Amino acid sequence: MATCSLYAKTSGYGGIYVMLMVNRLQILYFILSMPAYLVHPYMIWGIIAIGVLSQCNLMILSRWFASKYAAKGFQGFVQLFGERGVRFLAFAALFPVFVKVTVLTLGYVEIVQMFIFPSMDKIWLLLSVFVTCFYVAQQGIEKTIRFVVIAFLCTIWMIVLFFPFILPPLATYSNLLPLVPTEWSLQSWKGLLIVWAALSGPEYLICLAPWFNSNHNLIKYLTLGNALSILEYLLLFAASLSFFGSDYLRISNFPVVQIIRYLQSPVFERIDIILICIHLFHFVFAAALLLLYFYGAVRIIVGKWHEQTTRRGFVLASMAVLACMMIINQWFWTTGEEQYKWLALQVWLGASTYLLVPGLLLLAMKIKERLQA
Amino acid sequence: MKDFKRAVLAVLSSIALTTGCSPFVDNNMIEEIAPVIFWYVADAGEGKLKISTVVPPLVREQKRLLTMQVDLLKQGGKDFNLIYYRELKVGQLRMVLINEEIAKKGLIRMVNTLLSDPAISPRLFLAIVQGNFDDYISAQLQKQPNLDYFLYRMFKHYEKTNQGEMTIVNLHDFLKRYYSPMPYPNLPVFKVSSNYFSYVGTAFFGRDKLKAIVQNMDDQIYQLINNDKYLKHLAIPALSTTLGQVRSSVQMKMNQDASSISVQVDLTGRIEEYQGDKNLLEGEQLADLRKEIESYLEKQTAELLKKMQRWKVDPLQMGSLSLGPLKKPLREKEWLNTWEHVKFDVDYRLHLQPSATALPVGR
Repeated sequence: MATCSLYAKTSGYGGIYVMLMVNRLQILYFILSMPAYLVHPYMIWGIIAIGVLSQCNLMILSRWFASKYAAKGFQGFVQLFGERGVRFLAFAALFPVFVKVTVLTLGYVEIVQMFIFPSMDKIWLLLSVFVTCFYVAQQGIEKTIRFVVIAFLCTIWMIVLFFPFILPPLATYSNLLPLVPTEWSLQSWKGLLIVWAALSGPEYLICLAPWFNSNHNLIKYLTLGNALSILEYLLLFAASLSFFGSDYLRISNFPVVQIIRYLQSPVFERIDIILICIHLFHFVFAAALLLLYFYGAVRIIVGKWHEQTTRRGFVLASMAVLACMMIINQWFWTTGEEQYKWLALQVWLGASTYLLVPGLLLLAMKIKERLQA
Repeated sequence: MKDFKRAVLAVLSSIALTTGCSPFVDNNMIEEIAPVIFWYVADAGEGKLKISTVVPPLVREQKRLLTMQVDLLKQGGKDFNLIYYRELKVGQLRMVLINEEIAKKGLIRMVNTLLSDPAISPRLFLAIVQGNFDDYISAQLQKQPNLDYFLYRMFKHYEKTNQGEMTIVNLHDFLKRYYSPMPYPNLPVFKVSSNYFSYVGTAFFGRDKLKAIVQNMDDQIYQLINNDKYLKHLAIPALSTTLGQVRSSVQMKMNQDASSISVQVDLTGRIEEYQGDKNLLEGEQLADLRKEIESYLEKQTAELLKKMQRWKVDPLQMGSLSLGPLKKPLREKEWLNTWEHVKFDVDYRLHLQPSATALPVGR
């Protein structure tokens, strides 16, 4: 059986990669639908407030990166939690990783079917998207990390397209009023939760620490990535709010895609099709990374972390993920209601992992230090 | 060798996909489809719709009018396929013309249907038609085979720079207004008979129901103070004057208790035509004419605003004046109650620019 080293380390990656990864992991599936959940103009402050909270969280995370455990990778975790503890944590992590990759892939497939191939069976789309993810992932973690540059460059320019929508005549500024909440409901809390969940993602970087060059001044790059994400969210939310208005936004399913549909070009009628396709680069990067995480976690659980990775093992793990995705797609992602439940699950999981992981690591470090002292 | 194997695999799988078990269901073979440019929807009585279109838009072939009586809008789109040998596609649908009678009953179901189809662009033009558009199309089809396309170009032309001849509204504009806290959309109105097609004015809607139509002077004022803020020509027959290149800047202010609104309009333009008796070379007489135009426009505008109050519509979106960063926005009902009792204070200031050649009175 051919061997391949998916988790090999041949060179280190600089802070700029960290910045790009933080940014791209924060801007995932939710960017396309989030304005429809936030709706109220005062949520602009909500995004800023949650962004600041996220920044605090990243500061905690950066203390983990600066510690001696981070650079050791797996051994570092073993030192902190013990072998049994790590296996338990890996087991616990399987579920959020799986849900994230599933919601991401199926959500994207859903958009493709909705806007590009309404008559096509989703299974084909799912298959082709998954094969692409698999291809990127089986190149190994190093190339996947590198792929973030392509993902970033392919998608970041799109925010330029939204500038016309924050300027008149397309924008109506009275839609941005009132700026201060006049009433506060459960829905508003949910909106804040969604923003927090959307900004989650950087916690996945903890396992990539060994591949980074210098773990000491990462905070600068984490901050830059986070700030860029917040700016993007703000721009897109302000644009869709002033373009649609609150009530119209509420009935719109993927407002960001709907906005793009309003653009026109003399050459190609459906610009939204091109942009949705380009998003594939971005989603494939995230899904490939998560696939590698999934395989890594499975290896840790079955206790084979010291052995060489095999292609067969990775293929088997990926097949398992694909099979589960197909089952979900076939039976548990058919109606809008079910889809909403999956999104809610992902929101809760993403929000809690982002909240817990950095804190947990810091706590474990403190306890360890106290025990040693 | 490895690359070669991969290439062979890729070619084989794409052959299999394109020929055999293709996952694509839509057939877009260009020779077999006919994209439609417009739909005309009229009321056929008994809750039925009459929907018509012209085919084919692309190939050199005798054009003809297809008409169907259906219960649902999309059903019409489908049933056209049963009476025509090409499959009609809505991806190029650019205009939906709606008969006045339907518009009076309410449009929102139809408009939402159009919006929810991803193949239909949100830039689709909507317009109201008085009279039977089918008659016009079938009478003109021999003389002007590309009529549908020309109509689309007309909409496109006036949309592009908002030069103020017509109200042009697309699907998104209509829905944006409909879903705003002041749900008073507007649409252009055209009048047709078998050999006649003309722009009438602007239709005002209260929610999705047509409430009133304004034309001529009222429509020009509406274009000036709300829609385009620019008119290439402002003809004032009552004063024998045509103003040209008129730009307006409008300032509306609402007082604290929302009992009165002051509308101040600054017009900049030049006199392009004058048929009256005044000698415009003399400063005093020119100033007289200016004052006359100002007071005439003030009177007309105040009347138009009063009419809007009577019709219970607020297409100028004056309700948004009550918004503030700290205030709770008014709901539609509350605003409508206030709106009926608002007093207006209209003030025009006309700034006449010199024209290329002065217009002295004829001897």
